Amino acid sequence: MNFFNVIRWLAWKDLLSELRSRENISSMFFFALIVILIFSFSFSMDQQTAKELMPGIMWVAFVFTGIIGLGKSFTAELQNDCLENLQMNPIPRGAIYLGKLASNLLFMLIVEVILFPLFVIFFNLDVFEKLPLFVLILTTGTLGVSAVGTLFSAMTVQIRAREVMLPILLLPLIVPVMIGAVEATGGVLRSEPISLYRQWIELLIIFDVIFTIVSFWLFEFILDH
Amino acid sequence: MYGIRGIQLSQSYRHYQVLKEVSFEAAPGECYALFGPNGAGKTTLLKILATLQKPSSGRFEMMGHDGIRDRNRVREILLMIAHGSYLYNELDAVENLRFALGLRGLSPATREIKLALDRVGIGAFADFKIRSFSEGMKKRLSIARAMLVRPKVLLMDEPYSSLDERGMKIMNDFIRESAGQGAAVLMTSHNRVQSAEVAGKAGVLLQGVLREIAVKDLVAAHELF
Repeated sequence: MNFFNVIRWLAWKDLLSELRSRENISSMFFFALIVILIFSFSFSMDQQTAKELMPGIMWVAFVFTGIIGLGKSFTAELQNDCLENLQMNPIPRGAIYLGKLASNLLFMLIVEVILFPLFVIFFNLDVFEKLPLFVLILTTGTLGVSAVGTLFSAMTVQIRAREVMLPILLLPLIVPVMIGAVEATGGVLRSEPISLYRQWIELLIIFDVIFTIVSFWLFEFILDH
Repeated sequence: MYGIRGIQLSQSYRHYQVLKEVSFEAAPGECYALFGPNGAGKTTLLKILATLQKPSSGRFEMMGHDGIRDRNRVREILLMIAHGSYLYNELDAVENLRFALGLRGLSPATREIKLALDRVGIGAFADFKIRSFSEGMKKRLSIARAMLVRPKVLLMDEPYSSLDERGMKIMNDFIRESAGQGAAVLMTSHNRVQSAEVAGKAGVLLQGVLREIAVKDLVAAHELF
């Protein structure tokens, strides 16, 4: 079916372009690395304090890093008027959204997978027994940010002050993701029983489902207007 | 049935009327050449026909499909060669063609793609990144893309710009071939000599008003506007 082919082709194109230019992932990685270094040297923490602060610091780093990547997601389409070509093509708008979402999610997750061990080292945390839970929280939290961010990235791409507008629009909307992700990560780090933070993971999943569907439907309006 | 038919198309930006009830027709297999000074509204007209903009009033048809109500059907049959090459800098020529065709659900064999690149004279650069291409080479690659898509309606915005003499011949051969296969072609141009070789109809757009002229007068006329 052409719908899934469009998703595949867009993700393939973005991934191949990124593998060759390394523009997106490298800028995201170095920004996040600086954030980790600044926070780890700014506070002298024992392990208990680190467990309290690390979730917030980690998600602030991931979200701001993600904004850098999301901001470039559609600006790449402005080169040689490629966005115009996407608009003219006889392809479902929702497929363009999902293709872009797939590549944005992948880029963010790649950076997070590289950065997560650095957080563990710099903040001296013991997380390896709870790794599957961290993977679940990282994936659901990142999907929430990417789902809304991909839509807003398309919305702001034609605006002159897009670098400013994207975080202004995106950050208030992803507050539930930030709260849910930070609370759930904190619960896992403090080795609390899952029943104490399950609701935060459920919040992340519900947010992901709702905002992916809403963004999917809104994308046609955004791209054609 | 008309290949391309504009019916009293008007477009206004605030108080400035770019197009004033523009009507024209190009039959399947016919090439319509549109001339006019800079800012006359030629590109605006092409963007309306390419479904990138909605007209303030009026309508258009392509191969019997209403361009506003039946936009998706129109997008399936049209292809535009514009100022922007619609190419991705980090991909090579073959990858760019694969991507463009893949979005349309087409998957030609590598041999077919290389043949198209040879026909437009850039076969030796098949695996070169677009980043290293000149504007003329990009235009030739756009012709190769159109050769592989074989659209029923071909829109071209200044197709001869950036092309050398050999490139212009390739462009005209391609226009003749497309028209021979029944495609309707509409192009804007500043090159009267080249356009006169392929056009069956011609018009001059001046201050938003379209006036048809005889193709034989294109070269002979001292000045068109």
